[in-house]
Amino acid sequence: MWRLAVKNAVAHRSRLTLTWLAVALGVAFVAGSLVLTDTSSRLLDAQFRTAAAGVDLTVRAAAAFGSAMGVEVERDPLPAHLAERVAGTPGVGQARAVASGPGQLQVRGEPVRPNGPTIVGTWAEAPFTAYELRTGRAPDGGDEVVLDAATAAAHDIAIGDTVTVSATVSRRLEVVGLTGVGEDDGLSDSAVVMVDLGTAQALLDLGTGVTSVDVIAAPDVAVAELRSDLAQALGQEYAVTSGQDAAEASAEAAKESISYLRVVLLALAAAGLLVGAFLIANTFGIVLSQRSRELALLRAAGATGRQVFASVLAEALLIGITGAAGGTAAGVGAAYGLRGLAQRTGLALPDGPLTVTSRTVLVALVAGALVTLLAALGPARRAARVAPVEAMRLAEPARPRPRRRRLITGWVLLALGVAQLGAAAYLRDIAGVALGAVLLFLGLVALGPVLAPRLANAVGRPLDGLGVPGRLARESTVRNPRRTAATAMALALGLALISFVSVLGGSVKAISAGQQEALTADLLIQSAGDEMLGGLSPEVAARVAELPEVGATSSIRYGHWLDGGMTSALTAVDPATLPQVADVEMTAGDLGDLEEGGAVLAEDIAIERGLRVGDQLAMTLPRHGEQQVRIVGVMADESAQALSSGYILSLTTYAQHFNEDVDASVFVALADGVDAEAGRTALETAVSDFPNAEVLDQTHAVAARAATVDQALGLITLLLGFAVVIALLGITNTLALSIVERTREIGLLRAVGMTRRQLRSMIRAEAVLVAVVAVVAGVAVGLGLAAATLVGLSKDELLPIRIPVGQLLAVVGIAVLAGLAAGLLPARRAARLDVLTAIATR
Amino acid sequence: MTTVAPPASTSLAVAAQARDVVKTYGQGEAAVRALDGADVAIDSGRLTAIMGPSGSGKSTLVHALAGLDTIDSGRVLIGDTELTALSERERTLLRRERLGFVFQAFNLIPSLTAAENIALPLTLAGKRPDRAWLAELVEMLGLGNRLDHRPAELSGGQQQRVAVGRALIARPDLVFADEPTGNLDSRHGAALLGFLRDATRTLGHTIVMVTHDPVAASYADRVVFLADGRIVDELSAPTPETVLARMARLDAPASAIGA
Ligand SMILES: Nc1ncnc2c1ncn2[C@@H]1O[C@H](COP(=O)(O)OP(=O)(O)O)[C@@H](O)[C@H]1O
Ligand SMILES: [Mg+2]
Repeated sequence: MWRLAVKNAVAHRSRLTLTWLAVALGVAFVAGSLVLTDTSSRLLDAQFRTAAAGVDLTVRAAAAFGSAMGVEVERDPLPAHLAERVAGTPGVGQARAVASGPGQLQVRGEPVRPNGPTIVGTWAEAPFTAYELRTGRAPDGGDEVVLDAATAAAHDIAIGDTVTVSATVSRRLEVVGLTGVGEDDGLSDSAVVMVDLGTAQALLDLGTGVTSVDVIAAPDVAVAELRSDLAQALGQEYAVTSGQDAAEASAEAAKESISYLRVVLLALAAAGLLVGAFLIANTFGIVLSQRSRELALLRAAGATGRQVFASVLAEALLIGITGAAGGTAAGVGAAYGLRGLAQRTGLALPDGPLTVTSRTVLVALVAGALVTLLAALGPARRAARVAPVEAMRLAEPARPRPRRRRLITGWVLLALGVAQLGAAAYLRDIAGVALGAVLLFLGLVALGPVLAPRLANAVGRPLDGLGVPGRLARESTVRNPRRTAATAMALALGLALISFVSVLGGSVKAISAGQQEALTADLLIQSAGDEMLGGLSPEVAARVAELPEVGATSSIRYGHWLDGGMTSALTAVDPATLPQVADVEMTAGDLGDLEEGGAVLAEDIAIERGLRVGDQLAMTLPRHGEQQVRIVGVMADESAQALSSGYILSLTTYAQHFNEDVDASVFVALADGVDAEAGRTALETAVSDFPNAEVLDQTHAVAARAATVDQALGLITLLLGFAVVIALLGITNTLALSIVERTREIGLLRAVGMTRRQLRSMIRAEAVLVAVVAVVAGVAVGLGLAAATLVGLSKDELLPIRIPVGQLLAVVGIAVLAGLAAGLLPARRAARLDVLTAIATR
Repeated sequence: MTTVAPPASTSLAVAAQARDVVKTYGQGEAAVRALDGADVAIDSGRLTAIMGPSGSGKSTLVHALAGLDTIDSGRVLIGDTELTALSERERTLLRRERLGFVFQAFNLIPSLTAAENIALPLTLAGKRPDRAWLAELVEMLGLGNRLDHRPAELSGGQQQRVAVGRALIARPDLVFADEPTGNLDSRHGAALLGFLRDATRTLGHTIVMVTHDPVAASYADRVVFLADGRIVDELSAPTPETVLARMARLDAPASAIGA
């Protein structure tokens, strides 16, 4: 049977080409996602390792947790004398004080904005680091700096140029050298700014403090032993990690965002595979029904149903494995493409050679083979049921009618799905919505052969205007219910996901616009750097507050905390000034009480956790670990949304528990009588030497947020477009196969006078009709699911449901045009059919 | 029904002609000369039968005459139109407007009703059938109550009659029928042949019919015999007996060689 399967696959290779391609494309996406994320992780590891190479141990202040949501927490500064104390500890060979932290770089008035961080660090060479001077010399003194050669090259910076470096404090420094790490000219997606220790301390406003002490063990001293000795000697306040551990921890933090990317990419790849599965099932179904007489002959010659079944599956396996192999190879190329796309949307992914692990290959092969096998299962079972007598039958085999049991199951699933969606949305149960979506999907798959032809019949009415070709196009779409259903379903799935995402995106934008409503501030200042916790020097707020044009300012800061192991976000505000720039509505307690410590909760969170004013909440904060925090007030949800989190502390409390010293936003109310434009100009002038400070009015702030959402959506939609491409291949494939089947009919039409042009328009009309059916079904399902999801996610008040009509119309238009394009090839092939081969009787 | 005696062929206009047509399939060793200098004129307003052993080139000749296939050399004319000079599209339009076809099997589009199948050549040209003519055809073909049925719901005889209706609906200059009764039992076959004969005698159509059945050939006004891609004989006012006799004569040398 295996030999037969190979022979069949080879004999029918032209019919199976597109199926193979679908498997390969789906697998390429899976492999590409894995390769990209593996590569990024490995490169980050390597970078951090190289950067820390040479250092045996690192001493830092202890912290409750090292990183959250991909952001390393800032630790307490260390006292200056610690370096000496460490150096004096037996077993330590050399010790070096290091001051480093995030900062910004400005060249000729233009900010340098890498995708990743700008790191301000303390210059050292081997043995402490792998940084090497490429040209020039080491920085020495308060006005000299060394930059990484890559950044310098990208921004046309030469030795002798002056740049502005800002962290907490801003300074103009002269470039005296350019550096690289190992073989690279810099760290990817980052800018490296190296100064001497004193300058770093000044820029980071550390006074005489340092951020860590790097240690190199004395010769013949075991690092592990030294580590415990040092930890013992320094006490609980300090954490001693091995240099490689520290590098790994930094890498882990950076890699966390990659793991989110991996989940998103793999989910999208799965959608692509699912769409491919429809195509595979369809191809096998068609090819096997075209071969049913041959199968019957096999049966008549003594093959058992089981043997037929096995041979079909073997054929599927062959295609699955070879397709997956091709896809895996293509996945490496796909990884490059994905990296480019992701980087363009602002994700910081390192460049470098790709890593292909054996796990990637295994996962990709198994995924490809499994999807193909599962998709071929149904057609194989039908093939096994072909009766031997059908070999003797002259007439075409009757088209299978959808079976009763399947219909009943389908309707039940559909009804359950809709009911579940409605109920779950009503009960605000998002998990229930997901369950409903799955039921609905299964119901639609089961009912496809019944619903798709009806839909095609209805939406195909206008085709009759094309005359006979249009009429026939509609007829043949309706005539093959299962085929039409599977083809349309694949495309509908992709389109449903796209419309789902675009409605969700539209609504997220509406929500973020709505959040701003509570703000009464005329202007706000934000970091252009997109740092998760914000990145404005506190100096910005201080300068702005002194301007005569400004009436009031209030800053907010963001932080992460651990909520019983789960990372959560909080916002710190100034209770005294916040009411001057925002309408804060308290439903219980008093915002002013925050000054004495404690937290204010958003109303929905208070209700969810059953907390009232006076209750305690356990929060793990980075500096001092778990704290019992008293609830001093409850804030209306809209007010909390304007502050971006439901847990609110005062800036004073924040300062006790966090080392981060950057503002996320500064809200500014202008003085009476100052016009917005004048105020804005004054602000911009005042903060001009802070490269990342961006002065926005409310509309721009909303637009900026919307742009971020759009970028993420753009990436997801683009990747979903990939699933749509596979679905379009499905249309091409199905049509091409059905043309083989309809050779005689086409020949007859041509003989009695159908022109080639008419024939082509008939086939194209079929393709467009399938696309339109998919568009109608897909967009309807996508919109329905998006609505159910948004309602399900709502609290008391319904989230806004925004349908981006223009965007959806564009999707519809593109899908229909793409359907037309999908029909081009089969149409050409049909038009080329020789009239005579079609007529010739067998 | 009045039976008009066929006038002498010389006085008739020529509806179509093949002049020294050669058609080869395949190449080199495997090449088959399906038509090898075939020369024939089809008289207007008459039913011409083409007979010959299997593989003698009957279908190839009809396809060449109908512009369904290209030829290697020679000329084919429909009326005054030189087919070899036409483009693919022009040939398609010519088929649609001036020619009709009845094939042995698979004559109808499964998704169209009988009425739609009949009207197909006209609707493809964006025209509507002439109602009176349609009614007359349907009446003659005895398809009155079957018009809304799809091919799958019709018997083989009915299907072939629908095909004849389709071949005649556009009032073509010439109708080609390649073994139209090949798949029918003798009763249905006879009815169809009777209808074809009436179409020429009472309606004035020109029909070319390929057959290898002497009884079918006897319905024709004239029988042309084909062997090895060449016209070898012809017979006017045939009867089954005279046709059989000619056939036997044609077969004799072949069987002598074979023996
Ligand atoms: N498409 C084709 N390719 C190759 N040979 C063909 C083709 N069509 C017909 N022939 C050959 O040409 C000869 C004449 O065929 P045909 O005209 O179909 O004969 P008839 O209709 O008289 O039985 C036969 O030998 C046949 O095998
Ligand atoms: Mg023949």
